[in-house]
Amino acid sequence: MGRLFIKLTIIIAVALLLFIPVNNFVKQSRSYNINEDILTFKKDPYPVDIINLGASHSMYGYYFKPTGLAHLDLALPGQALEYDFKLLKEYGEYLKSDGVVILSISQMTFINSENEDVDEGRYYEILDRTQIESFRLLDYYKYMYFPGTNSDNFTSALSSKWKGFKWTSHQSWANNGENYAERKTEYVEEQYRKAIEHNYIEQNVELLKEILEYCQEQGYEVILTMEPVHKTYQEHFDEEVMNRLVFQYLNPLETDVPFLNYMNDERFTDNKEYFIDSDHLNSKGRKKYSWIVYEELKSLGYF
Amino acid sequence: MTFISIEFLLFFTGIVFTYYLIPHKWRWILLLAASYSFYATLSGYFVLLLLISTVFTYFTGIVIEKQETKQQKKRAMLVGICVLLFFLGWFKYFNFVNDSIRAISTYMNWNYAIPYQEIILPLAISFYTFQAVSYLVDISRGKQKAERHYGYFSIYFAFFPQLVAGPIERAKKLLPQFKVEQTLNYDNISYGMKRIAWGFFKKTLIADRLAPIVASVYDSPDPTGSQIVLATILFSVQLYADFSALSDIAIGCARMLGIKLTENFKQPHFAVSIADFWNRWHITLSTWLRDYIFVPLCKGKKKRSEIYLVIVITFLISGIWHGAAWTFVLWGLIHGFYRAFGDHTKHFRGKMATFIHLDQSPSLHKWMKIATTFLLVCFSRVFFRSDSITAAFENAQHFLSPSSWNPSGIIGAFEMFSLLDLVIFSFFFIVMQLFHYIERNNTSTWNWLSQRPAVARFAVYVLIVVSVLVFGATGQGFVYGGF
Repeated sequence: MGRLFIKLTIIIAVALLLFIPVNNFVKQSRSYNINEDILTFKKDPYPVDIINLGASHSMYGYYFKPTGLAHLDLALPGQALEYDFKLLKEYGEYLKSDGVVILSISQMTFINSENEDVDEGRYYEILDRTQIESFRLLDYYKYMYFPGTNSDNFTSALSSKWKGFKWTSHQSWANNGENYAERKTEYVEEQYRKAIEHNYIEQNVELLKEILEYCQEQGYEVILTMEPVHKTYQEHFDEEVMNRLVFQYLNPLETDVPFLNYMNDERFTDNKEYFIDSDHLNSKGRKKYSWIVYEELKSLGYF
Repeated sequence: MTFISIEFLLFFTGIVFTYYLIPHKWRWILLLAASYSFYATLSGYFVLLLLISTVFTYFTGIVIEKQETKQQKKRAMLVGICVLLFFLGWFKYFNFVNDSIRAISTYMNWNYAIPYQEIILPLAISFYTFQAVSYLVDISRGKQKAERHYGYFSIYFAFFPQLVAGPIERAKKLLPQFKVEQTLNYDNISYGMKRIAWGFFKKTLIADRLAPIVASVYDSPDPTGSQIVLATILFSVQLYADFSALSDIAIGCARMLGIKLTENFKQPHFAVSIADFWNRWHITLSTWLRDYIFVPLCKGKKKRSEIYLVIVITFLISGIWHGAAWTFVLWGLIHGFYRAFGDHTKHFRGKMATFIHLDQSPSLHKWMKIATTFLLVCFSRVFFRSDSITAAFENAQHFLSPSSWNPSGIIGAFEMFSLLDLVIFSFFFIVMQLFHYIERNNTSTWNWLSQRPAVARFAVYVLIVVSVLVFGATGQGFVYGGF
């Protein structure tokens, strides 16, 4: 048995030695540190003029530094309303008295569910543990110290390192962005089917109501927004589709909250130079868009 | 707690340590407690059903043995089997029968009032029921003595490594092993660990990497023909990796406790005929069906047509055992037809091979048979994987359409993967095939490996551990865990 013990020790030691650089690689990756800005803010908080919530459209959508506003970006890719609400409760106290909460609405807002496909590990450090429903100590330590053991983390890290390592047809602008938009449409439709099946839509509508009520109770000014997309994307998410995915649920709420819908804004729809892919703004796009939102908010009497 | 989890590995390590530390007379208590707690974590209060089935089978076994005549034994056995099948039927088939009758009633304009019932399927019920049936039949046939030690009998019924998805063991093989004092043996521990590691490798690096790709096609409302062809072939690989991994882990865990379970797979995708396939795929179910369905039904039948009918019935039962849906019934029917047709045309096919001189190139002939068998199996799996009969027929039509097999279409279908995922999957798939290749040319890859230099051996072990650690995808349940 001693022999077996020695062999096992050698195998585990060598495996660990090989694993350490992999683990470090994942730990340093952008995808693993996606919550870095929020974490930095948490360590050194300051009063902010504007907070934006939502998923990737919102995360890639706002950059208010040039406007002089203090801004906290609480949006994360694939973030569901459930976590928007939790983050708002956690960080809302830093919003200035005349500050604004931007709640981004997209085609995914009502069909999203945090249970699906999203790694909750990214909330371990930015939220209180008790806020994370499926929190398990074992997962926590795994995520914090051994993220390399999660193949999704490793693949994401590798993908962001080798951005060009994709099928030609999978490149963001292949076929003028049509392929990307088509794949995204399929994904959204699949999520919509699941949302209907599992009743996510009603739950999300309720959550949105709760968020708006909470903002009212706390005295936060809140606006709903929809970020611009490129025309190839727009063609797949036309009025009829957006009505089915979003507006048939949003409109009956009859909220008096302003809704700034830039989805079909012509200043963006024809300009590829503002986008990473057909539905996410790049740094140039987000600067331009944030100015537009800022001016619109000012004209509405905010700040 | 599933097999593929840190919790299970910690749980199992604790069991192994305790098992060898305590005296043999207490070990059955440990195994029983471990088995019931493992089952309870997976299937909650259904542990009660497991307990009831165990108690019932235990006493029925004794009652059968006490009967004096063969006729009385048979009668008692039939009563016992009926009760066990009632449990299985209620939980697994009630809604299937109910829905089917309702559909027929609607079609015929009859009034049928029984609504759909919310019935949860207890985990592993199909597996432990089949083990119980074989136990009762063997006692009635005089091949097995009724076990009097309730503890050992309960472990036979609920032995945690093989409870979830087999191998389906016979009491004759398993019970004596529990009774013998197992000593801490280097070979058992080492072999068991290797089998578990290999099971993890197949499950996390092959099966669970393929599962979302296959699902994306089969769940898609409008897949292309080439996507269906590729997804079906990949599903065959996924299903094999998934189920054989489960058997590997079961066999490995049992071996670490000194118990030898029956091998369930012998590279089924290298079978040269459908008959050969069933000798290599889910072997313990095949032999169970042979011994307890096919052979009794064949009794007294001499005509070929009658035997073919029995073959079809046996495969229909196999289909229904897999799942309570018409897709599984059709899947069974297809295999029954394959098997009967294969037998009926055996001589003709032999003559044809001679006529076109294929028998002069045995290697080519063999690979052609392997390819044909694999494609036939793949076609049947279109029904196994589809969610409904309508979808199954649509997908089958896609699969059979010549345009779906257009090479450029199939190459294009590989774009279902991201390029990175395809590279990762291909690497591990090649590793698995190398493992199989060595196994085909030697009795066991592990034995072959043990004869290599230490560095090479350790490199393989490290590769398995690191690969599972870094690239292993988790989160998918076992396909056969749902049966």
